[in-house]
Amino acid sequence: MPAPRLSRRNFLQGCSAAIAGLAGARLTNVAFAQSDSPADTLVVVFLRGGWDALNVVPPMEGDDRGYYENARPDIQITNLLRLDDRFGFHPALAPLHELYQQGNMAVIHAVGLDYDTRSHFDAMEYIELGTPGSKNAASGWITRYLQGTGTSAILPALSTSGAPSSLLNYVPTVNLNDPGDFSQWDNGLAQSQQAALRQMYNGDTLLHRAGMRTLQSLDIVHPLVEQDYKPANGASYNDDELSHQLKTVARMIKLDAGLRVATVDYGGWDTHEYENDGNGGYIAELLGNLAAGLSNFYLDLDSGYTDRLSVVVISEFGRRLVQNEDYGTDHGHGNVMFALGGGVNGGRVYGAWPGLRNDQLYDHADLAVTTDYRQVLSELLARRLGNADPAAVFPGYVPSGELGIFHAS
Amino acid sequence: MVRQQTRINRRDFLKLMGAFAGASAVVTACAPKQVPAADPTRAAPLPVDMTGAPPDPILPSVPLGIIALNRLAYGPRPGDLEVFNALGSTDEERLRVYVAQQLAPDSIDDSEFEARYAAAGFETLHKTHEELYYDHIANNPYDSNDDTYWEWYSQPARELVDATFLRAVYSKKQLVEVLADFWHNHFNVYFWQDEGVPLLVSYHRDVLRKHMLGNFRQMLEAVATHPSMLYYLNQNNSSDAGPNENFARELFELHTLGAENYFGVRDPNTIPKDANGIAIGYVDNDVYEAARAFTGWRVDDDIYEYEDGVEKTGRFLYYKPWHDRFNKLILGRYIPADQPDMQDGRDVLDLLANHPGTARFIARKLARRFIADVPPESVVEAAASVFLEYRNEPDQLKRVVETILLSPEFKQTWGAKIKRPIEAAISMMRALNTDFTRLPGGIPWMCSMMGQALFERRPPDGYPDVKEAWANSMSLLYRWNFAVAIAENWMDDEEQKRVIRTDILGQTPAQLRTAEALADYWIPRILNRPLSGPDRQAVIAVMAQEYDPRDELPQDHIDWILPAMVEVILMSPDFQWK
Repeated sequence: MPAPRLSRRNFLQGCSAAIAGLAGARLTNVAFAQSDSPADTLVVVFLRGGWDALNVVPPMEGDDRGYYENARPDIQITNLLRLDDRFGFHPALAPLHELYQQGNMAVIHAVGLDYDTRSHFDAMEYIELGTPGSKNAASGWITRYLQGTGTSAILPALSTSGAPSSLLNYVPTVNLNDPGDFSQWDNGLAQSQQAALRQMYNGDTLLHRAGMRTLQSLDIVHPLVEQDYKPANGASYNDDELSHQLKTVARMIKLDAGLRVATVDYGGWDTHEYENDGNGGYIAELLGNLAAGLSNFYLDLDSGYTDRLSVVVISEFGRRLVQNEDYGTDHGHGNVMFALGGGVNGGRVYGAWPGLRNDQLYDHADLAVTTDYRQVLSELLARRLGNADPAAVFPGYVPSGELGIFHAS
Repeated sequence: MVRQQTRINRRDFLKLMGAFAGASAVVTACAPKQVPAADPTRAAPLPVDMTGAPPDPILPSVPLGIIALNRLAYGPRPGDLEVFNALGSTDEERLRVYVAQQLAPDSIDDSEFEARYAAAGFETLHKTHEELYYDHIANNPYDSNDDTYWEWYSQPARELVDATFLRAVYSKKQLVEVLADFWHNHFNVYFWQDEGVPLLVSYHRDVLRKHMLGNFRQMLEAVATHPSMLYYLNQNNSSDAGPNENFARELFELHTLGAENYFGVRDPNTIPKDANGIAIGYVDNDVYEAARAFTGWRVDDDIYEYEDGVEKTGRFLYYKPWHDRFNKLILGRYIPADQPDMQDGRDVLDLLANHPGTARFIARKLARRFIADVPPESVVEAAASVFLEYRNEPDQLKRVVETILLSPEFKQTWGAKIKRPIEAAISMMRALNTDFTRLPGGIPWMCSMMGQALFERRPPDGYPDVKEAWANSMSLLYRWNFAVAIAENWMDDEEQKRVIRTDILGQTPAQLRTAEALADYWIPRILNRPLSGPDRQAVIAVMAQEYDPRDELPQDHIDWILPAMVEVILMSPDFQWK
């Protein structure tokens, strides 16, 4: 006997009872395959806008501290948290400083894109495609990594914000911000509609494959939709854009559905003005959110997952050494990256330091790049991700030696 | 000198954003509680083999009217295709007449839209730029600790969002609406950029809509002197003592020459010159020199208080004390010192607007919007030639658009694009004759869940216009959910002040009683063409449920199932192509 059509009012009143009742019996967990690989789950946090490496990890002392202070009379960072004899953290990074001291986090300085551009969009595209100087690649670097491993996991890749170029044309990617939002709005006929969609999206175009993946994703995420999430170890996620995404990643890791890569975006780093005013400015707020988000994420997963976790924090470029007139900084070159995880040889700052004297700067203006970002990722691929052939991921790139950021899994 | 700031504090601002995000949260009330559907027994571990990226197969061609109404309009409303087909005896002629009509928007009778617009009762959209600034920024009557302050501050921009949806759904001047969207993305300004939210109204109306069928050079100067852009890309603070390069960089990279003509951080002397001695592309040095040329282009807003010659009108201000008076060298062109007011910046705009690289970049981007994600070079070259030939004419951009729309490439391409989320949402409302006057907050909220909140692209590049950006699970799922929400009438605001209605039963001929007949009515009604055999059967199966496709269905079955069947047609891949 067909049910009467629900008015919206009825629907709102009844949505927890009637609708759940319709399919309540189905609220059981999907039986997932175990992870098919001993490789780490990689989480890439991309800080959009170009974060100011020199105010994230400023020099502590010596000539470079002098050049830094002269160049940034109004926006220099003091009260640093000591990393080694040369560098310290911006004080807003205190929660990460603990992870650093515990050996779970490493810093790579003067790292970046070894290509001449100060364009956000070019730099992001080059980094994410893994092909500096060319935007013609049909796949991102993570796409090539995952294709190379031939994973059969149900959920190999997750993006919590849009469709990043690093996963370009990797159709198995599940894209969602929050499992609680990831459900088909059901008038009681969603099952029937999905059967029709399975027929209609059975095809070869990008759209067809994305549609089919969406249908599969509904099944994968299904067990999480109505569950409240309790982070482990008393971890507590803040209510900001980054923490929401990290919480989602943690939940998906704990599904044990073989998640290999998750990409997370956090924007707002294009600090052309008021980077560091009396109240700390934009950068203190951003770094505070970053540190809180990552440290709680790590704490949450330090419940049996961090041994198989590698987190990389990257941004498209650093910023100019000299502050501008608006208490900000303009687009620069050399940058800083973070690596976190059980496989990190942490508590160290890696990379050759080029110095901040004018003739040591890139284009007499910016921190120089002494470590190609692909060096870091190649070491990660080889040591933690089971990929001995980084050249297939980064065509034409040959790592130079090894900095030793990661130990073998 | 420390500049005293009276700008809006960012924390207040975030609070404001939160307040209005919450206003539309009602529609989410049910979503998280939904059963995610799909039978988990079918979800047995699925080997994922779809890792490659083969080129998309060529789709079957469709009648030219369908191409035209999906690419230079937000999809057909019922009857639109018949009107198109009556415009001439050949496809060629019909398209020519349709494009000519659409490119002469003032001659189009738009009374249905105008009646709705009048009924909507917008309170701020008629205000001049100066009034918007005076009323909503300089003299906000409310206490900044109260929500009313922020409601008043953001009301014009929120009304702009509502009005833009209203136009896109109901206006017959469809090409104008598509172009307004194109140019807002091209010269993107983020809705919530701190200092001038109410001014988005005058930016959209007096800059983009005013010039989008006009002259690019004039449009460029209108953009470069509008406070929305000056604030958004930090030009408002750029002085000789410390030029801020943000606007200048995006002017080159996003507004004119494009990244395709960027040679990176290089010695400008190494860049080849054309016959006129102008560099064929730009390097960083050009950006910095241009930033110097624009110093002193700012807003008359008195944010630093008590500066001589600065008032609080909210207009553009050329502020000579901040201008870098010395000579510059840009794209190989020497710009002498001590030029008249604004001349340095105008010289840069001239150089960029007349550059062949700009012509190709704009032509390619328009062709990407109107033809294919990767448009054929032939049509790009043709449009770029028109761009350059008519660069001093008042209808330059109209001619460029016309060249693209009447090109053979336009007629020969189908399915090389998918609708972007906002286009999908609007086209669903058009296809179903959905009825609204003031847009419920849930509609823009759904678009944000699809990844395309209107006017809310934060970076200056505008939303992507290629399918790779939109063919992902979250975006597609909410596209499907939008079909459900619209067809089931679930999108009213909670207090029912703003309602949106779709009467599917009322639009269905009463004599249609079988699943087959209902499917065969609604498939062409929405798509204007048939579905493949198996896809048609899938639609019929939804309608039939436990009945035979040719059984006469009871009325309560039709009442209950028909919207779901219509939703499936809107969810289909065929509805997404354009």
